[in-house]
Amino acid sequence: MSAIIRCRGVSKIYRQGLVDVPALRGVDLEIESGEFATLSGPSGSGKTTLLSLIGGLDRPSAGEILVDGEEITHLAAARLADIRLKKIGFVFQTYSLIPVLSALENVEFILGLLGRPAAACSARAREMLHEVGLSGLEQRRPAQLSGGQQQRVAVARALAPGPAIILADEPTANLDSANAEELIALIARLNAASGATFLIATHDMRVVAHARRRLGMVDGRITADERAGAPAAA
Amino acid sequence: MDLLRLLGPLAWRSLWRNPRRTLITLAVVSVGIWSILSFDVLMKAWAASSQAESLRLLTGEGQIHAPRYLDDPSVDHSMPAPGGALLHVLDGLGAWSPRVRAPAIIQSEYRTRAVTLAGVDPAREREVSDLPAQILAGRYLAGPADGGIVIGADLAARLKTRLGKRVIVMAQAADGHLAEIGLPIVGLFGNTTAVQDEFVFTGLSRAQSVLGLGGSISEISFDIAPRATLASSVGALRRAAPSLDVQDWTTLSPLAFAMDTFSQTYTGVWLAVMFVLMAIGIVNTQLMAVFERTREFGMLQALGMRPGAIVLQVMLESAILIGVGVAAGVVLMLATLRPFAGGLDLGFLAAGSELAGGGDVLYPKLEPADALAICLTVWVLGVATALWPARAAARSSPVAAMGATV
Repeated sequence: MSAIIRCRGVSKIYRQGLVDVPALRGVDLEIESGEFATLSGPSGSGKTTLLSLIGGLDRPSAGEILVDGEEITHLAAARLADIRLKKIGFVFQTYSLIPVLSALENVEFILGLLGRPAAACSARAREMLHEVGLSGLEQRRPAQLSGGQQQRVAVARALAPGPAIILADEPTANLDSANAEELIALIARLNAASGATFLIATHDMRVVAHARRRLGMVDGRITADERAGAPAAA
Repeated sequence: MDLLRLLGPLAWRSLWRNPRRTLITLAVVSVGIWSILSFDVLMKAWAASSQAESLRLLTGEGQIHAPRYLDDPSVDHSMPAPGGALLHVLDGLGAWSPRVRAPAIIQSEYRTRAVTLAGVDPAREREVSDLPAQILAGRYLAGPADGGIVIGADLAARLKTRLGKRVIVMAQAADGHLAEIGLPIVGLFGNTTAVQDEFVFTGLSRAQSVLGLGGSISEISFDIAPRATLASSVGALRRAAPSLDVQDWTTLSPLAFAMDTFSQTYTGVWLAVMFVLMAIGIVNTQLMAVFERTREFGMLQALGMRPGAIVLQVMLESAILIGVGVAAGVVLMLATLRPFAGGLDLGFLAAGSELAGGGDVLYPKLEPADALAICLTVWVLGVATALWPARAAARSSPVAAMGATV
């Protein structure tokens, strides 16, 4: 397998008032295509910052990041948006669905941004909602869905365009145990089925337990990198 | 999927996330449009009334004179009655009336006043002037040869004379001698005091005879319908009578023209004032809407929506919001105009209305082309104003969507 994500000497320093606060300190990381990896560590360890940089949402202070072979740290905002749209799916801690659109429309929307025909968008969105177990709830708006259901819609939206990479930031943080377990199982199953690379920043040890690669972060550095012997299973 | 088709429903639904704010903005835009259109319609109605009052007095939509008559309106600058090519063009245009005009002195047994003696053809005069219909006592002239005189009721009072009495009219004749004639007062007309004081009317051929003009006249007043052909009509008259001075009402009646220009300028100023007020409301509410959705815009960018598409979405929301507001304002305006379809009676303001140069009744009418121009201006400028909040939305950080903490 080849590295779909490659970070070399990535640092990020935030300026707070007159003080420089290092969030990442020379991170070197390679994630292989199709991997199911977790980033765990205490709050402030740099997990979310690293995900933001890999996703092209922010730029590193130093170092370089290659996504699917393309160096992204110096790309223009529009090109970065295109890369995110076509290659990267995001799942956020707070679901982040568009509240005025139904579950189906939320998924269709991202496909529409790709310029796909309306009928194809609708068919693919229904397929993805079925995949995440939300058949029959397509017309419900986010406010009419439980937290777990909303996060499933977010997963369906992230996977619908068929991205190479899914970046998830604390996807189970706002879910109760039952919903969190279901979501973890769903993510593991979709990773196996879609072949997409999953990189998940999480505190949740149940998520970490399912990962085939477990990265630990402390103070902006990768401090642990373990590979599970057995493949993740639903 | 086409980007506009994708963003359109999202923009519409986003507007109704906060119905109260959207309704307030709609109210601001619709009342603003209603106000601008109302002002425009009333100013135009007033200008039209003022113009009609002025032009239907004696001016007409244009006049033909001998060269230099306008500088020195005496019998020395008379011209032949129309014939040949000029007569052909005049007959094809619409109504026209030949006149003799001369500075004169009118004298009763008690008093003397300076006036303008006008010799008119009553039948033709009725087609270009409303004065023949403003007889308060007696009658108007019966024909070109009528030997009576019609004077203003106010002038009669100043001269301490009355209907049926004789007055002496003196004027310089074409040969230079002072012509003098006694004429019976056959009618008293009403109009503004200034008009009543200035003009006295007798038959055209009677005036020509007294002043020794033969068949010559001082001016031709003409009306053209529709007004849109005025410039081309004046051009045709100038070509038909190149040696004569043909002018339209904008030159002959600068006050009426100024009223027309003034109404347009004032409407423009009002439009600007109202637009600034509306723009403040639009920008304020749209900025609030954008700031409330900063995280959502960041999330959309994180998902791959380009900043330009974010700008487009916010602009689309503004375009829909302002468009609906403008449409509501037009409907409100039409509903307001409906009761005044037969005219807006300003009889209770008659004196003030007269001072302002307008008539007693205004006829407010919404001109589709003007209304469209105003609505489009407000819509386009309003949408352009929304560029500010739209750019603010596009600057939302996608990192914020991640709930990033260091």
